[in-house]
Amino acid sequence: MSNIIEIKNITKEFKVLNRREGLKGSLKDLFSRDYKIVRAVDNISMNITQGEIVGYLGPNGAGKSTTIKMMTGILEPTSGEILVDGCIPYKNRTRNAQNIGVVFGQRTQLWWALPLVESFKILKDIYGVTDKDYKDMLELYQSLVDIEPLLHKPVRQMSLGQRTLSDILAAFLHNPKIVFLDEPTIGLDVSMKAKIRTLIHALNKEKNTTVILTTHDMGDVDALCRRIVIIDKGKMLYDNDIEHLKGFFGYYRTLKIRVSGSLSETAEKIAAEFPEFSVSANDEWISVLVDEAKSTVMDVLSQLQKTYKIRDMQLEEISTEEVIKKIYEEGVK
Amino acid sequence: MKRKSLGFYFRIYRKILAQDLKSKMSYRADFIISTIGMIFTNVAGFISFWILFQNFPSINGWGYYEMLFLYGFSLIALTPVQCFFDNNWNLRMRVYSGDFIKYCFRPINLFFYFQSEVFDIKGIGQFLFGLGTLIYSWNMLGLGFSALMLLKMIVFLISASLVMIALQNAAASACFWMQNSFFVLDFINKMKDYAKYPVTIFSSIFRFIFTFVIPIAFIAYYPSLVILRPDEVPLLSWLSPIVALVFFFLSYKLWMFGAMKYNGTGA
Repeated sequence: MSNIIEIKNITKEFKVLNRREGLKGSLKDLFSRDYKIVRAVDNISMNITQGEIVGYLGPNGAGKSTTIKMMTGILEPTSGEILVDGCIPYKNRTRNAQNIGVVFGQRTQLWWALPLVESFKILKDIYGVTDKDYKDMLELYQSLVDIEPLLHKPVRQMSLGQRTLSDILAAFLHNPKIVFLDEPTIGLDVSMKAKIRTLIHALNKEKNTTVILTTHDMGDVDALCRRIVIIDKGKMLYDNDIEHLKGFFGYYRTLKIRVSGSLSETAEKIAAEFPEFSVSANDEWISVLVDEAKSTVMDVLSQLQKTYKIRDMQLEEISTEEVIKKIYEEGVK
Repeated sequence: MKRKSLGFYFRIYRKILAQDLKSKMSYRADFIISTIGMIFTNVAGFISFWILFQNFPSINGWGYYEMLFLYGFSLIALTPVQCFFDNNWNLRMRVYSGDFIKYCFRPINLFFYFQSEVFDIKGIGQFLFGLGTLIYSWNMLGLGFSALMLLKMIVFLISASLVMIALQNAAASACFWMQNSFFVLDFINKMKDYAKYPVTIFSSIFRFIFTFVIPIAFIAYYPSLVILRPDEVPLLSWLSPIVALVFFFLSYKLWMFGAMKYNGTGA
């Protein structure tokens, strides 16, 4: 399989003015040449093959947007190389634009006043989609979601969910090789989220489109991505399969118990009893994050049973969300 | 990839325009009110002009009908900027909020794509009003009529329009470099009010400024001299189409330079 995106040691630095405080400070800033260099992306490399769905994750300000902007040709890397479908994005912005589709969760790119179908027709002309391809695409869309009621509705009158759906359809319309989705499910209700995930999955399967997904919703990641890439402070933390990730910190499970008596007091006592595990209390439940390399959940449970009267219990596998949270907070050891 | 032809852009523009008009018409009240508003704006502008001339029979050797001619000329010349480039007024907000980035992902000219988004229909009323004024004063001045005059008129109206478009582009693109750039655009917009007066009525400093710094004298005064005073056309009048083209090109380059430098806010 060929690489659709090749990124080799890219770094992006921004020059930021060191701002001073107060009115006097801002007056001084007017004439200041006192810049500091901020490295938003620091020596990142990755290859992405055609047809992959890659979850591109990282806390706010990690450098995700900057990387995406370099891949779409809006920013030029300070050093390193990017090839998207064999060409350098910032040198061939127009050609690159023909190859990609972009969706921002909360910013529509459709014509605000126009019914969706008219936006589609204009996009068809802009991207030079043939009549046959256009017709086939609409048929495919029809088979995946019920677009008929959307087609004749002005984008302005749509709900956020309908608009996001429309934006995704518009981004795939010219059958681009790569689609960048930036938080496509932000602010949507559960059923709409599911609908959009199904749609993205189906379009990826059907058209073998490469999808780069940035999100903070681990539901998106679980539903769509086999591979995830995590960056923080501009540095690559992780680039591998999602299955791999779960065993990344050892095998964790969360034991949740409900006990009689004061919740926080008991939690404190348990925490003292098991200093190697993290213990938290909320909603009447006490959670113990058990590292099964150290002792099994059953051992912990039977030991707890000796001291406390356990009224109820639950066992949870660690979620992607928790692993990611741990990576964000603690980094990779 | 080959460059997109002019025909391609015309086709796209026509489609967007047709759809946009359709959707605007569907808001009938809004459409009617904005049309009435435009008529009132023009009538009010005309009344203040008329009152002025009730008190002064001529200004610096310019009679009522000549001034009316300039007035009509400037109204027509200001129509394209109103109709086709009104989105410049939104540029600052788009850039500030980060929404501008959405324009950067299409395989078409960024300037075109941005401007094509808005067509301001109010300009049409202004055009008709200007045309009426121009024809009336043309008649009263007894300028006569020939195909060559019409051709001159069209060429010089287009170059006058280009000057205003260029001024607005340049002013709007200030937002790529400045946080609060509204006053730049607003200032240029206010300056265009001086365009309808003969530049000779101003003091020499302002004459210089309006010709070479903020060239609003090219919006009505210099180009209309070609028709109004055919015996004493200054060189600057004949140069106005070239000035307009160069100035428009430079403003376009400046706008694009700013837009290409733009890289949005964090998403």
